[in-house]
Amino acid sequence: MIRALRILAANPMSLIGLLLVSIIILAATFAPLLAPYPTHNGAIVDFAYANKAPNARNWMGTDLVGRDIFSRILYAFRISLTLGVVVLAIAAPVGTAIGLLAGYVGGWVGAVLMRIVDVFLSIPPLVLAIAMMGVLEPTLTNAMLAVTVMWWPWYARLVYSIARAEREEGYVLAAEVMGAGTPHIAFREILPNCLPAIVTKMTLDMGFVIIIASSLSFLGLGVQPPTPDLGSMVAEGARYLPDSWWLTVFPGLAILVAVFGFNLLGDGLREILEVDE
Amino acid sequence: MINKTAFASALCAATLLATPAFAETVLRIDEVAVGELDPAKASDYADSILMFNVYDTLVLPQQGGPGHVPHLAASWEVDGATYTVKLRDDVKFQSGNAMTAADVVYSIERMQALGAGLSYLFAGVSAEAVDDTTVRFTLEKPYAPFIASLVRLPIVDMAHVKASSDTEWGEEFLSANGAGSGAYSVKSHNPQEETVMSKSDSYFLSVPDAAPDTVRMRYGLEAATVRTLIAQGEHDIASQWLPPEVVQALAKDGSQLLTENGTGAFYFKMNTTKAPLDDVNCRLALSHAFDYGTAVKMIAINDSVSAGSPATGAIPVGMFGANGSDMVMAQDMEKAKEYLAACKHDAADMNIEVSWIAEVPLEERFALLMQSNFTQLGIKSEIKKLPWALFAEQVSSPENTPHISQLFVNAVTGDPDTLLYGMYHSSTPGTWQSPEYLNDAKVDEYLEAGRTASNDAGREAAYKSLNTRLLEIAPTIYGFDRQSVFAASNRVSVPALSDPDKAFGLDGLGFSFRLMEMTE
Amino acid sequence: MPAVIHLLLRRLGISFVVLIGVSMLIFAIARVIPGDPARIALGPNATTEQIAKLRTAMHLDESLPVQYGHFIADVSRGDLGISLYTNRPVTKDIAQFLPATLELVLLAGLIMIAVGLPLGMLAARYRERWPDHLIRVLALLTVSAPGFVWAVILMLLFAFYLPLFPIAGRITDSFEITRVTGFLTVDTLLAGNLEAFVDVIHHLILPAIALSLSGIGQAARLTRANMVETYKKPYIEMAQAYGFFPSKIARSYAFKPSLIPSLTIIGLDFAAMLGNAFLVEAVFAWPGLSRYGVAVILRKDLNAIMGTVLIIAITFLIVNIIVDMMIAFLNPRIRHSARGSA
Repeated sequence: MIRALRILAANPMSLIGLLLVSIIILAATFAPLLAPYPTHNGAIVDFAYANKAPNARNWMGTDLVGRDIFSRILYAFRISLTLGVVVLAIAAPVGTAIGLLAGYVGGWVGAVLMRIVDVFLSIPPLVLAIAMMGVLEPTLTNAMLAVTVMWWPWYARLVYSIARAEREEGYVLAAEVMGAGTPHIAFREILPNCLPAIVTKMTLDMGFVIIIASSLSFLGLGVQPPTPDLGSMVAEGARYLPDSWWLTVFPGLAILVAVFGFNLLGDGLREILEVDE
Repeated sequence: MINKTAFASALCAATLLATPAFAETVLRIDEVAVGELDPAKASDYADSILMFNVYDTLVLPQQGGPGHVPHLAASWEVDGATYTVKLRDDVKFQSGNAMTAADVVYSIERMQALGAGLSYLFAGVSAEAVDDTTVRFTLEKPYAPFIASLVRLPIVDMAHVKASSDTEWGEEFLSANGAGSGAYSVKSHNPQEETVMSKSDSYFLSVPDAAPDTVRMRYGLEAATVRTLIAQGEHDIASQWLPPEVVQALAKDGSQLLTENGTGAFYFKMNTTKAPLDDVNCRLALSHAFDYGTAVKMIAINDSVSAGSPATGAIPVGMFGANGSDMVMAQDMEKAKEYLAACKHDAADMNIEVSWIAEVPLEERFALLMQSNFTQLGIKSEIKKLPWALFAEQVSSPENTPHISQLFVNAVTGDPDTLLYGMYHSSTPGTWQSPEYLNDAKVDEYLEAGRTASNDAGREAAYKSLNTRLLEIAPTIYGFDRQSVFAASNRVSVPALSDPDKAFGLDGLGFSFRLMEMTE
Repeated sequence: MPAVIHLLLRRLGISFVVLIGVSMLIFAIARVIPGDPARIALGPNATTEQIAKLRTAMHLDESLPVQYGHFIADVSRGDLGISLYTNRPVTKDIAQFLPATLELVLLAGLIMIAVGLPLGMLAARYRERWPDHLIRVLALLTVSAPGFVWAVILMLLFAFYLPLFPIAGRITDSFEITRVTGFLTVDTLLAGNLEAFVDVIHHLILPAIALSLSGIGQAARLTRANMVETYKKPYIEMAQAYGFFPSKIARSYAFKPSLIPSLTIIGLDFAAMLGNAFLVEAVFAWPGLSRYGVAVILRKDLNAIMGTVLIIAITFLIVNIIVDMMIAFLNPRIRHSARGSA
């Protein structure tokens, strides 16, 4: 723990990452309290104040129907974080389990599993998610489903390569000789050695999931209005460039800041946990 | 020794010869994809622009007033359900072939056979070529606005199509090539990207030099792109789907605003077969909850130009049976709550789907406005964005039709029958014009009376009763009477879209390129 | 048989299997959707007979495996069906739109390598000093936003506020170039029109940069990390002890071994760019395959969806194979083992 703090202190960028992530998590959690116009995340229209540039009343301006952009960004962080957490909470365990199994058991089971993983990985990430969302109704749940389906193979691949290497290690052979069963070896012996890589990846992935999710909603395949979402806010605002620049620029910067924070934090974690790239 | 004077004058002469009399003028416009070149399949705005320029019709609407004037036709006679039309004898197609009655008969039979686009206008009409310049149309039933519907019958060059294609109706040929008599011929056509047309020199009417030599119609340009292209002088006329804010920005920059009033309106069509909208009280509640005033404000461009005007009822102002301006639709929350209480469905159980067409970004804000209005009534709603193709497919069955569909509808022939019949008659449910699935005997009765009445007074009475009845049963929320606004550069002057005396009163005809003048 | 050829055949075989898997996956997904594709195709004014006729022609009423069988039969003949969106054969659409995307992605890839690798080398050479920190932060920044955010920012700065670049299209309208390959850079040169060539490049730059930004960051980070690892190796220490110039060490000894791991990731990044192209094409209204892909997905255009995803998957697989081959070639162990077993 002390070592961790020392590394963090020596690396100011990771500290900034931690700071940014904390701010965003706080902003998302306490959005109803922090937002100047908490009702603007729902079904409300205030046309008298529509399309106003940033000013004292609306720090980041208003959108085309009069909603405060700053408030909506705060609520949008909620959606992004929720999506990220849910996706990773499902994709990581599922992918890890499959990767472990394939890596340790090996043989034709492993080969088949990894071929399936290859199929998923052979489609560029965004394309698969887009294809799925094109088929499903565009809701938050379906967006989470699509991103999860697209995500687990990366964990499978990661854990597979670690498990394959670890399989030959002494402690595994010892456990086998002692008669330990496959599940025990896989999950109690090998898994702990994969954890640092998995945790680091999850932190970095948080940012990446936010990017994928906002890309989906940018294309119109994510959450639907009036729910605020960073990607769809950028998409709607892009139409009104360059006059109403605040419609796109602020949500875009919000994405940048959030993902940057997670990436910085992830990099710091990687150093602390001494994970090879 | 060089004779300087001789040399100088030779140089001048050479320069004069080398300079063209005037440079070729190019008009650049854009529209929503796809541009359908086959005139029998034309239904959308882009299709109409193509059709009106590449092809000609027998008649055209009178500019600046009601009625119709001859175009390819020289004159016509009406006898009950029989129309005898005499054609001009001096019209040549772009291929060089002369236009005869046989072409007219081919064109209408082609439309009927393909059964696409606006072919329903000619159902039950049989045509025969009496001689080379006379066509007789025989209708199954008298149909008062038949002459008006001839505006949507483009005349196709039968000989050219038959020579260029091995199928009877030449579908593949006509979807990629023009075969008309219009003032502009197709130089290239890519339905997703661009159609290029150039002025033909064999038009039967004289086309002024000032009319553009070449027209490039591009499809699917983004709003921000159009805005910048116009500002940089690289685009001339924007489509009417540009959001009001962008049009405002362009107007502030100095663009002119062209307007077209095509006798149409913006409707929020309610699916009368889907609960809770199957109860008239609920529909009346929603009709009174909508904030009409704000909707009209949302489409205002500046103080003098707006993309619409307040609705006074089911029929747009200016058509038969429209209500006076004293009956402007307005929000009334108290009344809405009364109706809601009288509705047999419980407000707490409701979840209204408000759909909007993805290609028209303007509609999203109306959906949001509606959603917030409904919330005030305590009714939950969800917003659904649908691309046009999907929407048209979903409305084909009552279960898949959303509760509320937003649509711009206009009278394709300028006549109220083509606006209202397709929307409300019980025999035409489930098309993109009729997601209401309305089935009301009185409405049917008035619609048919409007069709068959022998004089204007009779039609006026029929449509007046229709208007009252529609407001009673409220199958639709009548958002506003629509006016199309086009932001344009100052390189082009379009009297048909800026001078009320020259206006056609029919969507798309304002884009007759031969009537435009390039000013530089 | 040389090991390299052996590897190539193996990879091709695996890729083929993977391709089949991909096609089945997307086929299943696309067929599961609600909505009648025939009705969507024929448009709002279609009659029931026309729809029934089209449904039979599209085999829509048969079972899923049978439909898949029809699909495979058609594909092997080169027939990907008709797109409901454009009413043209899907192959024609792809032939028109794919070169636009490929041109963009290739240029972005070039930029990524040309800028990312040297930046990474620079960062590794000056590791732990200020150029390294600066480059690492910038690299992380570029990776931290989706392609469309960069596209919007670049467009705003360099096309609107400073009108240095055009904002739409691949070429200015007034140029009439016959499309031979579909790659406008090639076609303009074939036509001998240098002005048009410059115009095409002018249109390409902004979208290509927007697309390449996150790739640059990734490439820089990776190159740096790999070179730093290499720098720790004993033979580098020896070279330093011998007094070789740092620049020579960087170029001749540190760079090559780090190239191999970087190449793998660069290959993956290329694929990511194919996906990211969706976003950049949307912002710049680029008439490419990605924009077409989104449009057909939103309209549930089955044939076009299948065709687009297949083409993207094939492209991705080809790139992977090329990268694998390059790695095998560069890796002396594999090359030498080839000679041994010949």
